[in-house]
Amino acid sequence: MIGYFVRRLIALVPVALGVATLTFALIHLVPGDPVVAMLGDTAGPADIEGLRHGLGLDRSIAAQYAGFLWGVAHGDLGQSISMKEPVARLIAERFPATLELAGAGLLIAIVLAFPLGLIAGANPGGAADMGAMSFAILGISVPHLCLGPLMMIVFSLDLGWFPLTGRGGLAHLVLPAVTLGTALAAILARMLRQSLVQVREADYIRTARSKGLSAFAALMRHGLRNALTPVITLLGLEAGALLTGAIVTEMIFSWPGMGRLLIAAISARDYPLVEGCVLTFALSYVVVNMATDLVYGIVDPRIRLVRD
Amino acid sequence: MSETTSRQASWPGAIFALGRVAVVIALVAAAFVWTVGGRHRAAPAAPSGYLQVDIETSPIALDPRFATDAISSRTGELVFDALVRLDAHGQFFGDLAESFERPSPTTLVFHLRHGLRFSDGRPLTARDVKYTYDSILDPASVSPKRIGLRQLATIAAPDDATVVMTTKGPYAPALEMATMGVVPEATPLPGKGAKRWPAASGAFEITSFARDEALVLARNPARTHAPDDIPGIVFKVVPDPTVRALELAEGICDLAENNIQPDLLGYLGMRPDLVINQSPGSEYYYLEFNFRDPHLRDLRVREAIAYAINREAIVGSLYKGTGRVASGMLAPENWAYNGEVPRYPYDPFKASKLLDEAGYPIGPTGTRDLTFVYKTTPEGRRLGEAIQAMLRRIGITLDIRTNEFATFYSDIQKGNFDLTLLDWVATDLTHQYFMVFDSKMTPPGGSNRGNYSNPAMDRLLEQGEVTLDPVARREIYAEVQKIGATDLPYVSLWWMDNVVVMNRRVKGFIPFPNGSLRSLATVSLTPEAGSVRR
Repeated sequence: MIGYFVRRLIALVPVALGVATLTFALIHLVPGDPVVAMLGDTAGPADIEGLRHGLGLDRSIAAQYAGFLWGVAHGDLGQSISMKEPVARLIAERFPATLELAGAGLLIAIVLAFPLGLIAGANPGGAADMGAMSFAILGISVPHLCLGPLMMIVFSLDLGWFPLTGRGGLAHLVLPAVTLGTALAAILARMLRQSLVQVREADYIRTARSKGLSAFAALMRHGLRNALTPVITLLGLEAGALLTGAIVTEMIFSWPGMGRLLIAAISARDYPLVEGCVLTFALSYVVVNMATDLVYGIVDPRIRLVRD
Repeated sequence: MSETTSRQASWPGAIFALGRVAVVIALVAAAFVWTVGGRHRAAPAAPSGYLQVDIETSPIALDPRFATDAISSRTGELVFDALVRLDAHGQFFGDLAESFERPSPTTLVFHLRHGLRFSDGRPLTARDVKYTYDSILDPASVSPKRIGLRQLATIAAPDDATVVMTTKGPYAPALEMATMGVVPEATPLPGKGAKRWPAASGAFEITSFARDEALVLARNPARTHAPDDIPGIVFKVVPDPTVRALELAEGICDLAENNIQPDLLGYLGMRPDLVINQSPGSEYYYLEFNFRDPHLRDLRVREAIAYAINREAIVGSLYKGTGRVASGMLAPENWAYNGEVPRYPYDPFKASKLLDEAGYPIGPTGTRDLTFVYKTTPEGRRLGEAIQAMLRRIGITLDIRTNEFATFYSDIQKGNFDLTLLDWVATDLTHQYFMVFDSKMTPPGGSNRGNYSNPAMDRLLEQGEVTLDPVARREIYAEVQKIGATDLPYVSLWWMDNVVVMNRRVKGFIPFPNGSLRSLATVSLTPEAGSVRR
């Protein structure tokens, strides 16, 4: 297993290179110019050229690309064009907030999804199934834009239990995490239920039942591990998406995360900042998927993370 | 029996199998939250007695030499004083300068106030002013403000209290160059190793800044103020407009300017602890024509479009009455305003008649052979659809294309549009006329994106740039406004009001037409019954 992870870590290098190249190409291809965005249209050609030279944007694309890669290889992501601060510092300020929110959202999702999915999957068609799946549909259907302000009104303004906005202690985290995690909880619960319903019909469950196990016990002992594999696949993908997809929740709760930083960087065509943010997201995504692979092995020993 | 017992005994194992996965993942997630969250200090909260102002985005730059966005400029005005500032009527008055004069058409002399100091205790002298300008002009600084100093020939500090600026030629808007916030001499450029903000020369100093969270200002210890004046301000970044309204309603936020949705004003207006201050603003909205399109070069087509837009209805319904229908770029409060210009009240019949005369008869499908590309941002789409519906009534088809701002901006700069809707919030709008309507001022280098050209207008605008006599300037710009409203390079839409929602505890706030927050330096907070701060 260790060998596997070492190989995966080494594989991060081409992934990082690919992402860096793709991001560099895309941000330079789309219309818009950081210099024009900064100066406005009153700037004359000389002003534009002067600033472009000052920022090193008058070099050839190949030279800029080489400079960018050289910087990345040395841990230097450059300086933000619009914010005049080192990109690494801006990301270091924000990434913990994003990790914190995504981690808490994931926690909420798991805590909600597993009991709901189990209850529903063990008793398909029953009242508990209906109740759990109604909650799941509600969770998927209510957009963050509605759920967030609703929870703010009830739990912050009316009851005064949690702060309204901002980042601080754990109390600040509850409402944004629940807002972010509810939809994922609903998706996971539905997936777990569906998976459990399918394995209920499997031959090995029938065999277990014929040996005298109750339906629930057979499902728990023999079915659950198999049912979890697709859930974990989904969880891995969604956990990565939580890192990058929390922008709406960040906006509602004034959460100072990476999503808002990236949006601002794109609007200003702040090349170094966009490249730094996307690279960070991409590497996080890869790491989350490595963690998912690790969980596969725990759930199902038949899945080996080494080459036979 | 024993077998059954054995199966029952496996239950904990079964549950463990389920739990193991959840626990591993949950532990990882919890570890993130604990390790990451536990180390983060809470965002700077409003210290007692501080005023909390909600803003929609974070200031981009804290150094006035680099601040070009609206929020950075407005917060910067409270921290960094300039030689002069603009008053509510568009006239300049002394800020750091006690007085200023123009001994020759190309020379401006500023006499600094006595006893000025920065927040770190250093005296503020003419050398600091000169250093600020020199560092902006230094190509190595790559300051975006350099273009505003294009006409500056020299700046000198003959003594500690005198600054002398010379311009490359007679230049009427020269005082606009004297509005740069001043930083101490030798303040390094922002970036690696530099402090995040310079020492203050204004009423407040920056005490903390967490990007996208809050900017906290405390009184500049080197400046005197009235005992009742607030000790500081927290500019809290709250991007969601509904949350800003909730914070106002709950007494968390004390004041918000021009960032509350008009739809929510009715709800907030009913709160006994809130007051809505609506005053005339100078933010000017216009519909711009691209004269590269042969159809739009026909004045009758432009007039028809102007008559077809029901601006009263848009101001009333979309903006809930928080604006005034505009007759030109200059609002009535401006010293150079001329109201005696052609106007285009809503008249779809007249609009249709003009299009018929222009040779675009209405076809069997109810439309004319007139389709225009309307470029906008996603935020501007709703307004675009209102205009699209109005133009459809007179048979014009509007093809709305939305792009995020940078792409949209790049497009309109290159002239890739037929119609577009934008706004101006400029410091000196008379100079702005030159930038947008002079035929030489097409981008880059100017804002005449529609390629409008009228030699009579050019002559007046060039005269206005070099005429220093205020009476003669007023006459020039009166004529400029008349030609602008006749030629219709823009359809003037509305001037947005300044809408400030504030807690009744806030006393002494004076709104400025350009949205400046300068009067926050002299507001006070008085405890009132019924206003509970949460």
